[in-house]
Amino acid sequence: MRSPLTPEMATQEVQLNETLAHLKTESETLKTKLEEERAKLHDVELHQVAEKVEGLGQFVMKTRRTLKGHGNKVLCMDWCKDKRRIVSSSQDGKVIVWDAFTTNKEHAVTMPCTWVMACAYAPSGCAVACGGLDNKCSVYPLSLDKNENLAAKKKSVAMHTNYLSACSFTNSDMQILTSSGDGTCALWDVESGQLLQSFHGHAADVLCLDLAPSETGNTFVSGGCDKKANVWDMRSGQCIQSFETHESDINSVRYYPSGDAFASGSDDATCRLYDLRADREVAIYSKESIIFGVSSVDFSLSGRLLFGGYNDYTINVWDVLKGTRVSILFGHENRVSTLRVSPDGTAFCTGSWDHTLRIWA
Amino acid sequence: MMSGRTCSSGHVVQAQKLVDQLRVEAGMERIKISLTAADLVRFCQDHRRSDPLLTGISASSNPFKDKKTCRLL
Repeated sequence: MRSPLTPEMATQEVQLNETLAHLKTESETLKTKLEEERAKLHDVELHQVAEKVEGLGQFVMKTRRTLKGHGNKVLCMDWCKDKRRIVSSSQDGKVIVWDAFTTNKEHAVTMPCTWVMACAYAPSGCAVACGGLDNKCSVYPLSLDKNENLAAKKKSVAMHTNYLSACSFTNSDMQILTSSGDGTCALWDVESGQLLQSFHGHAADVLCLDLAPSETGNTFVSGGCDKKANVWDMRSGQCIQSFETHESDINSVRYYPSGDAFASGSDDATCRLYDLRADREVAIYSKESIIFGVSSVDFSLSGRLLFGGYNDYTINVWDVLKGTRVSILFGHENRVSTLRVSPDGTAFCTGSWDHTLRIWA
Repeated sequence: MMSGRTCSSGHVVQAQKLVDQLRVEAGMERIKISLTAADLVRFCQDHRRSDPLLTGISASSNPFKDKKTCRLL
């Protein structure tokens, strides 16, 4: 039964409600101010600035390798810095390390869970990280001895309260950044498993993240089911910029190679480019004929091309500056779920629900 | 059953966090798109010759493009 309100409690409640109303007004004012400030800088469109840039010719990109071996949907992949090895993870619980030149499988690990949604190669090339429905991110050191049981050396690093959606080593093997269905991102020390920093601000599952190129400093961007892309300061845990122009879940985010912008791919069937110094969206890559969601995006080395993997099984290649599509690639027999350009930019790899990975060049 | 007082103070904490976050974002120094876009264009142009997927490098220099004929599936 509810205890009777004393006069003191009643006064406090009135005061709190006044404070709340005051704060609401202030946040509305600030939001309007933000919109005005951003609009002031919108003096020109990106494609207008790029008018004098030479158009791109015809692109001939084909599947050069097909990696077969997963027993179910491929959910994630990452390149090794040696530009030839790849790690991939699948719904069937398997994580495989491949030599993309020869298509040979070099290592395979069976995870204790299905839906391994995230995997990443360590910068040294000596370990891989992965996780998914187990809510964890685990690190497996890769052994030169092919007979060694990798699972025995497994190290549990991150613990979330919902699925792991993405993971990435920072510029060393010592730290891992994770994003989760629990709505947070987190930075972990690999050796101790200690939580170094957590990042709160998304209002729903966080689906993706990308670290800024090392020259640009300690920030990363994340995208989520709340349709927001947030830029974070890794040291303070503070969200320093937030963008909300997509109309649905953001499945993928990737920094432009200079670090001054980032691209996103969404279930709203568009890719968008956000300029960090202008603090706004500066391009949308879309066509009326494209109605299926984008699962993953990545830039070519110069940033001129944006590759998008789509749920309609295709890859669309966009001219980042002019905003037009330059090519559409067919080959996969189900959704493209993951896409990464190789470290030296000579090729890109896609993973699909059709159980295969393809290397394109 | 908790009194309404506890619910209100939770909302106030949340609202304060939102205002603090918005203040941080509003205080940011922004640059006009005409300037920032020019930098994006310049970066592309400066790096275009070292972008293999853009220039298309020959089979002899791309390890993925081998000179074998493709097998038709």
